[in-house]
Amino acid sequence: MNLRRAWAISEKELRYLLRDPRSLGVTLLLPVVLLALFGYAINFDVKHIPLAVYDPDASPESRDLAQALTRTEYFRAAGTIGAPAEADAVLARGEAKVVLVIPAGFGRDIAAGRPVRIQTLVNGSDSLTASVALGYLEGMLGDWARRRAGEALPRQTRGAAIDPKVRIWYNEDLSSVKFITPGLAVFILMLLAALLTSQTIVREREQGTMEGLVASPVTAKEVLLGKLLPYVAIALADVALVAAAGRLLFHIPLRGGPLLLLALLLLYLLAALGLGLLISATARTQQGAYLVAFIGTLLPTLLLTGFIFPVSSMPKVLQAIVQLHPSTHFMVIARAMTLKGAGLAALWPRAVALAALAAAVLGLTAARFRKTL
Amino acid sequence: MSAPAIDVQRLTKRFGDFTAVDDVSFSVARGEVFGLLGPNGAGKSTTIRMLCGILGPTAGRGEVAGHDIVGEPEAVRARIGYMSQKFSLYLDLSVLENLEFYGGVYGLGRDRLGERIGWALEMAGLRERGDQLAAELPAGWRQRLALGCALLHEPEVVFLDEPTAGADPMSRRQFWEVIYELRGAGVTTLVSTHYMDEAERCDRLGFIFAGKLAALDRPDRLKQVREKGTLVEVECDRPAAAAAALQATAGFASARLHGAGIHVGLDEPAGAAAGVRSALEEAGFRVERAEVVGPTLEDVFVSLIEEMEASSGAAVR
Amino acid sequence: MRNRLRTLIRKEVLQLRRDRRIVAMLVAAPLLQLFIFGYAVTLDVKHISLVVCDLARTSESRELTGSLSRSEYFDVAGWVDSPSEVDAYLASGRALVALSIPRDFSKRRSRGETAEVQVIIDGTDMNSAGIAAGYVGALMSHYDRTHPETIRAAGGVSHEPRIWYNPNLDSVTYMVPAVICMILATVMTAATAVSLVRERETGTLEQLIVTPVRPIEVMLGKTFPFAAIGLVDVGLIVLLARYWFGVAAAGSIPLLFLSAAIFLLTTLGLGLFISSVSRTQQQAMLTAFFVIIPSVLLSGFIFPIENMPQPVQWLTYLLPLRYFVTIVRGIFLQGVGMGILWPQFAALVASGGAIFAMSAARFQKRLG
Repeated sequence: MNLRRAWAISEKELRYLLRDPRSLGVTLLLPVVLLALFGYAINFDVKHIPLAVYDPDASPESRDLAQALTRTEYFRAAGTIGAPAEADAVLARGEAKVVLVIPAGFGRDIAAGRPVRIQTLVNGSDSLTASVALGYLEGMLGDWARRRAGEALPRQTRGAAIDPKVRIWYNEDLSSVKFITPGLAVFILMLLAALLTSQTIVREREQGTMEGLVASPVTAKEVLLGKLLPYVAIALADVALVAAAGRLLFHIPLRGGPLLLLALLLLYLLAALGLGLLISATARTQQGAYLVAFIGTLLPTLLLTGFIFPVSSMPKVLQAIVQLHPSTHFMVIARAMTLKGAGLAALWPRAVALAALAAAVLGLTAARFRKTL
Repeated sequence: MSAPAIDVQRLTKRFGDFTAVDDVSFSVARGEVFGLLGPNGAGKSTTIRMLCGILGPTAGRGEVAGHDIVGEPEAVRARIGYMSQKFSLYLDLSVLENLEFYGGVYGLGRDRLGERIGWALEMAGLRERGDQLAAELPAGWRQRLALGCALLHEPEVVFLDEPTAGADPMSRRQFWEVIYELRGAGVTTLVSTHYMDEAERCDRLGFIFAGKLAALDRPDRLKQVREKGTLVEVECDRPAAAAAALQATAGFASARLHGAGIHVGLDEPAGAAAGVRSALEEAGFRVERAEVVGPTLEDVFVSLIEEMEASSGAAVR
Repeated sequence: MRNRLRTLIRKEVLQLRRDRRIVAMLVAAPLLQLFIFGYAVTLDVKHISLVVCDLARTSESRELTGSLSRSEYFDVAGWVDSPSEVDAYLASGRALVALSIPRDFSKRRSRGETAEVQVIIDGTDMNSAGIAAGYVGALMSHYDRTHPETIRAAGGVSHEPRIWYNPNLDSVTYMVPAVICMILATVMTAATAVSLVRERETGTLEQLIVTPVRPIEVMLGKTFPFAAIGLVDVGLIVLLARYWFGVAAAGSIPLLFLSAAIFLLTTLGLGLFISSVSRTQQQAMLTAFFVIIPSVLLSGFIFPIENMPQPVQWLTYLLPLRYFVTIVRGIFLQGVGMGILWPQFAALVASGGAIFAMSAARFQKRLG
C-alpha cells in the first residue's frame, strides 16, 4: 500500500469538497440545526397531556384525585365535562386526550374503605402518547389509592406494606436533550455516510473520471483509503461541533473516558463510512446510491436503532436483525459513556460487535470494489 | 439581397471580472458555412450559446434568422438547430427514442416525423442500430446521432459547437459532407472548431482569441494577407532539436515545429530553402526536404496569436 | 403545447423504465417504511429488563420478585448477590430497572413495619424511565392488594381504562398516515431535485433550452412521473395497511388521494426549486436533506406540535407538511371529511401554489 498515492486521492477528494462550500456548509450546519431543534423545539417527553374530568360526585375525595393527576407535569387540566356523552366530542376535537370518569358516590366509598372503580377514556389514535399516558395513569392511580387507603385507616393498623423508594440515575432531570444528543451524534455520522460517502465512488464512475484512476498505478485499496480519510475528518469535525454545542448549550456531561470514546467513535466511523463506500462501490448511478443509502442506513438509524424508540420494545425478530447494524451498538455505547460513565468492562460486548461489523463492512467493500469499470 | 442569417453586433459577455466575449461583431449570410476558430477558452462556445439563447449577453445585440436573440428567443429557437460540445443525448434512451423525443419536442407531426427520422438514421448510418442505447454507441456514431437530432426539424440556421471533437478523420469527412448538403439546401451553418483542415472548408472564418475577434475573412484571403516573406518547410531527423538549433541561429529565429517537421519564416525569398538546409546540415542534422510553401491556416493562426499576445501581454491559454 | 408535454413525459417514463432499480426502490421504500413504522415505532415500553438483588432471600421476598417477573411489564435480566453488581447491569444497559430488597425485608413486615425496597431506574431514556416508574408503583400496589396481611387489601382503587379509536394501541394505525406523509415528503422531493440536476450535469438541459419547450412544460414533465409514483405509493400503503395489518382507513379514500395530489405539488415544487439552485447532484441531495429533515421533525408527525415552544409552533404554520399530516390523520384515523378539514386543504393549496410559482419564476430558459 503506497500511502502517498492514497494521500493524493484524499487531497483530490478534499479539493472537490472544498470547492462546493454549500455542501460542506450543509454537512457542518445540519447537525447543529438538528441539535438546536431537539434542544429547543422538539421534545417527546410525553407531558402536559390534556385531561378532562367527569365528576358527578364532586366530593373532596374526587377533587383530590383529579388534582393529584393534574398537579404533576404529566397531565394538565383540560376542563370538566357535564355528561358522559360529551366525552366523545371532547376527544374527537382533541381538546383532551384522556377523560377521567369518576363514579357517583366515589367520596363516600373511599372514606368507608369500599372498593371503587375508576374509568379513563383514552384517545388511542395517538398511540405513542396513549400508551405512555396509560402507564402514568396506572402508576399514579395506584399511588393515590395506596396513600388514600393508608390515611383512612387508624394508625396502628397501618403498616406491613411495601414502600418503594425510587431513584433515577444518569439523567436525573429526565431531560430529553440529554437523551437525544449522544444519539444525535450517531445519527449524524450515519447521515454523512449516506449523503457523502455513498456518492464518492459512483460519481467518478458517472463522470468518467474512474477511467483515469483505473489506468493509473493506484490500487483499489489505496482508492478506498484515500476516499475514506477526508470524510473521517469531516465526521470528526461534526461530532466535535455537536459535542461542544451540547456541552455549552445543554450541559451534556461526558462521564466516561474520552479516549475510549474516541477510539470507539473511530470504530463506528469506519463502519458507517465503510457502509457508505460499499453502497458507492456497488451502485450504478448517483441517484441509486442515494436511495439505497437512505433506505438502508439513514432510515434504520433514525427509527430502528434506538435513537428515539427503544429497541427493547420491538418484536424479537426485529431486535435480532437490528444487531447487524453498527448504529445499534454505538447508540448504546455513546449513551452509556456520556451519561452513565460506563467503561470497557460494561461495554465490551458492544465494542466487539462494533469492531466485527466494521471489519466485515470494510472487507466486503474491498472485495467488491475492483479497479474495473 | 436578403438579410443576413446571423447578425452579431458588439456582443459581450462578462462573468464577474472575467470577460469571455469582448465586443464581437460579424454577420453570416444565408447559406454560408461560417467557422469560428480559436483555442480552448477563447469564447467560441460562449458566443454560440448566446446566439442560441442559452446565455444572456451582457452587452451588444444579435439577430438570428431575422429575430432578436434577447427579445424574441423563442422565435429564434424554433428556427435553429444546436449541437453542443457534450452532444446532449439521453444516454439511457435508445437511438430511436432520442430521435422521437426531439422530433416530438419540435412538434413534428407523425408523418413528417417518420420521414425525418428515416433521413436522420440514413444520414447517421444508424439504420441497423435504432434500438441501441445511446450510451453504447461509439463516439463517432453519437456525434452523428446528435447532429440528426439537431436537424430533425429542418432549421434555417444550425449551430455546431466543436461537433467533430475526438472523431476519426473518416467520420469527420462524412460529417462535413452532411454540412455541404445542408449548404446546398440553403441552410446556414455556424461551426466552431479547432481543426485546421475543417477551418479550410468554411466559406468564411472568424478567429476568436481571448474573447476578441482577431480576424474575419475567407480562408484563402486570410492566408494571402498574412503572407509576408517566405515560409520554408523542413523535414529532418530529430525535429525538436533541429528547431531549437535553428532558433539559436541568426536569421532563423522564427523556426518552430509544425506537425512532424519545421516551419521557418524568412524575409528574403530567394535561396531561402537552401539557406535553411545548409544551416541544419552544418549543425549535424540530416535534412530530407526543405522547400518553400504557402502559409497554412495554422501558420496564420499562430502568428495572429503571437501578434495579439505581444500587443496585449496576455498568455496563451 | 400538449404535444410537447406528452413528449417530455414519455421521455421521463422511458428513462425511469430503463432504470429498474430506482423504480423498485421508489416502490419498496414506502413498503419498508410501513413495516418499520408498524412494528418498531412505539414508545410503549413492555418487558422492561429488571435486575434483582435480593438480600433477604425469604419466601416473601421471592414472592415479590416472582410477581414482578411474571407480569408482562418486567423481564428479569439477572439476579445478583450484591448491590455493586447492579451498577454493571445498569451501566451496560442490560437492565433498565434495578430492584434491591434489603436483608431485613421479611423481619420488618412481620413486625408490622413498612419495608422499604430500593428501585433504581436508568433515566437515560426519560420516557421509558417515566413509564417504568409508573409500572413499579402499580405493581407494588397490586402486590399490596393481593396480600391479606396488609390491611390495605380492604378497599383500594381499581383502574379501568378504555381506549377509543385504536383499542389495541396499534402503532400501525397511528403510523400509517405518518408513513404516507414521510414518503411523499422525503423521497419524492429529493428524487425530483436530483433528476433535474442530472440533466443540467449531462448537458441535456442545455439542449432542452434551445428547443421550443416552455419552462412550465419542463417542470410538469419532470414532476409528472414522480407524482404518479407517489400516488401509486399511497395506494400501496393503503392496501398493505388494510390487508396485512388489518388497518382500514376510517374516512374517504378518494379524499386521501386528492390531498396527496395537492401535497405532491408542494414537495415536487420544492424539489424543482432545490434543483434550480444546485449545480451538482450531491448539492441537490444535501440541500434537499437540509430542508426536509427539520421540516419532517417539526411537522407534528412524530413529535406533537403542542409540545413545542410557542414561536416554533407559529413557525410550523409555514410548513405544508404540517397540514398534510393533520389531513391524513384526520381522514385515516378519525374519518373526518372536507367539512372539518377544509382549512387544512386551503392552506395546502395556498402553500403548494406559492412554492410551485416560486420554482416557475426561477425556471427561466437561461443558464446564465
